[in-house]
Amino acid sequence: MISKAFKSYWFPLVLIVPFLAIYGLIFIYPTISMFVLSFTDAPLIGSGNFVGLSNYARLFHDPRLLVALWNTAYFVILSVIPGAAVALLIALAVQRLSGRLQAAVMALFFLPFIVPVSVVYLIWDWILNYQFGIGMHWLDALGIPRVPVFKTVTWFMPAVAIITIWWTCGFSLLVFLAGLRAIPAEIYEAAALDNASRWTTFRRITWPLLWPVTALVLTIQLILQLKIFDQVYLFSTGGRPNDTVVMVQYIFQMAFQDDHGGRAAAVAVTLFLIVIVVTLVEFQLLRLAGGAPKK
Amino acid sequence: MKGSRFHISRVGAWLITSLTVLIALAWVFPLCWGVISSLKPEDEVVRPYIELWPQTLTFDHYYTALTNSLIGLWYINSLVTAVGVTSITIFSSMLCGYAISQLNFPGRRYLYMLILACFMVPTQTLIINHFILMANMHLLNTWLGMILPQLVYYPVVIIVYKQFFDGVPKEFREAALMDNASEWRIFYRVYMPMNWGITTALAIVVFIWTWNNFLWPFLAATQNETMTVPVGITQVYNAFGVYIARRLAAAVLAALPVVLLYLFFQRQVTQAITLSAGIKG
Amino acid sequence: MSDIKLSNVSKTFGTVSVIDDLTLTVHSGEFLVLLGPSGSGKTTILRMIAGLETIDKGTLEIGGHRCESLPPGQRQVAMVFQNYALYPHMSVSGNMAFGLENIGLGKAEIAARIAAAAKLLEMTSLLERYPAQLSGGQRQRVAIGRAIVKQPKAFLFDEPLSNLDAALRVRTRVELAQLHQRLKSTVVYVTHDQTEAMTLADRVVVLNNRHVEQIGTPMEIYHRPATRFVAGFVGSPAMNFIQVKTKLNGKKIGIVAPSGKWIALPGASNIKGDVELGIRPESINIVDRDADATGQVKIIERLGERTLLHVQLDKGPLIIVQDSGLSKLNINSPVKLKFNVSQISLFGPDGKSSLRSAASK
Repeated sequence: MISKAFKSYWFPLVLIVPFLAIYGLIFIYPTISMFVLSFTDAPLIGSGNFVGLSNYARLFHDPRLLVALWNTAYFVILSVIPGAAVALLIALAVQRLSGRLQAAVMALFFLPFIVPVSVVYLIWDWILNYQFGIGMHWLDALGIPRVPVFKTVTWFMPAVAIITIWWTCGFSLLVFLAGLRAIPAEIYEAAALDNASRWTTFRRITWPLLWPVTALVLTIQLILQLKIFDQVYLFSTGGRPNDTVVMVQYIFQMAFQDDHGGRAAAVAVTLFLIVIVVTLVEFQLLRLAGGAPKK
Repeated sequence: MKGSRFHISRVGAWLITSLTVLIALAWVFPLCWGVISSLKPEDEVVRPYIELWPQTLTFDHYYTALTNSLIGLWYINSLVTAVGVTSITIFSSMLCGYAISQLNFPGRRYLYMLILACFMVPTQTLIINHFILMANMHLLNTWLGMILPQLVYYPVVIIVYKQFFDGVPKEFREAALMDNASEWRIFYRVYMPMNWGITTALAIVVFIWTWNNFLWPFLAATQNETMTVPVGITQVYNAFGVYIARRLAAAVLAALPVVLLYLFFQRQVTQAITLSAGIKG
Repeated sequence: MSDIKLSNVSKTFGTVSVIDDLTLTVHSGEFLVLLGPSGSGKTTILRMIAGLETIDKGTLEIGGHRCESLPPGQRQVAMVFQNYALYPHMSVSGNMAFGLENIGLGKAEIAARIAAAAKLLEMTSLLERYPAQLSGGQRQRVAIGRAIVKQPKAFLFDEPLSNLDAALRVRTRVELAQLHQRLKSTVVYVTHDQTEAMTLADRVVVLNNRHVEQIGTPMEIYHRPATRFVAGFVGSPAMNFIQVKTKLNGKKIGIVAPSGKWIALPGASNIKGDVELGIRPESINIVDRDADATGQVKIIERLGERTLLHVQLDKGPLIIVQDSGLSKLNINSPVKLKFNVSQISLFGPDGKSSLRSAASK
């Protein structure tokens, strides 16, 4: 019976086997071993002893975990909603353009997104360089005292958030543009005939029709920024890495710098669960708020 | 004379357009500044005042970056990794997406739900175990070790392919069945040729994304020689030290391939991103 | 060419029975039309013959061979799809060759068949073009060509004219009729358009809600509809329906016309009580006296060769009466109408005809 099933389904099997094999290896297996590892006291490489839930218990008394959690949340608050708002505003402006001009302007806004994060880091590290950066000269012009941005705790996150918004705006912009384009022109014409002002049109027509897209952008950005690592790690070199640490970075520090494999895995599992829960909750909230994103 | 409440006046419209263009130019300014700074001699860069254009235009830093560092090796590593990830991802995603879309087999729905569920999983949390796995397989500092864990971005690509194949009218499959084509021929000669456009778009986007990836290459390359470009230029200070212009030149070299790729294939990149966002969530 | 026999065929989707115990024979060389509205099951039957839908119970024989469990490509039937389904990345000749390549024919044979079909359909100049470069009518020809080269035992058409504009539809209908005469092929043709059925078919199977209402030649279903559905579906403008009562006059059976007159209906049997009288617009005459019904003209449609009068009966519904093209009647004119008795149909409460009109031919 099995061989008969095999005979008739051999073709789909062949098609999905490459995916399944690779995915089993680099996704299923590591996920399971992550959970397993978190119950041991193993170093990064090598084996350890089973310690039950003690790694997790330690997390409750771990001040650095709290710092990491707070920083991650802070970063998310600073970057997700402002980032979406900025992208939406730009999308509204770009949508008015047409033809070559629109394509060119789009390319300009999108270009930063194409650039690798380390290039973003090198450029902005230079722009905000305390002694010679052009950013400092702008501060001078505005009469604001210079700040070594990445070495202070107060300004680190906001700066990284703003740079991240600058960097990733292009993606959200594209999605918003696609959403705006999906609204038929006739609706705006009908609104004009109905004597709607610009603000009313936006508030009562554009915004509601765009809501599924907006929710989508917020969701994607939220999930992405919860997992932030690259720019925070890079910008914190030479700064105060322990004070500005975020969750993934904390995992990295504990596993690769402190060599505590098991404990780091516990943190990883924690983040894993947080992301899943937040995603599900956010999804439900948005759906209740009026119109879930399309599936 | 006032414009109507809905249409702003001509002058107003022109103002907004100019403002948009100005902001766009300002948006791209940091990148330009990076390039400009890389073309100045080192002593000009660190002057206390700002010059918007190099007094002396020099390509020395590029020359130094290319000859005095391992950037050549890093380029090769990046290229191999990106090509490897792209081809493996596209190839197996296309097959899998087609199977889920067009073929009937037990467990098909579960497979699809599994793929959707994988979306939510934060892959950054798996870095520890990826590292352990690659170390145990002796794949650290090898191309394969660099490539494999970066394949976690399958779900999006598979779903894009599935949705694409879903959108192909069923009649083509039926006509091919009536034409006595085997399942393999239906895929190979009817469906696959139809999707070159979307495949190109996805391939370019996956390539760019892999090239730019930082976290895993950062962990997987414990020796300078095996780093990829984005990792190398930030990690290896000895070659550049405090030579800012040289670092920026290296940065420009790092970004150049993907920027060029984007400028050439702007339409495809845009298409791929809107497609993949259209299906997420 | 072969015949097609469906015997006691049934199909269910889950627990819903879609086709129930259908027996149908298509004779060799016959042009059979499956006619009905959407959802009537006509396309399902066609696809079951093709093999694109499974036959859950019963048998299918094509040319004497049992086919119900064979995969689509091996039944030796060719299908022309509603949207043509031409492979967009292959040229016209590529499209036509694909099926032949799959069964392993030699290159020379394939080329010969394509050339012959192209000549027959007058599309030799299109062979190297791609579907996107062709007009709707040309694409349809390619779809037919693709079917012809397979030299099938029967052709299956799934609403092939529905994507063409009106003028093209008429031209193509004629071409299809000519093609059928030349090839003498067995054809099963699905449509919802009763004009196509009337003009192309040797026989028509009228379907409604997944069962067969009537099978007959076009003239039979037009003049002697077996059920009320067939009567109302075939013919344009549609048949008029008037509620009447039956009445005996001595030993003869008849009905009471709207004007009160008694009309004898020899040949009627087993009718009682209230029935529905069906009469076509062209079977009603305008008279001066001895009327079966009277009324007032409400709307006039002058079509040139005939005039359609919408008449509100004094004791009955609004009906349509056909008059000559030069009719002198106007709106609100009173009219006296007489029914041509030999063209009357009667339908009982179950919708079935209890009287076939005596019109022969």
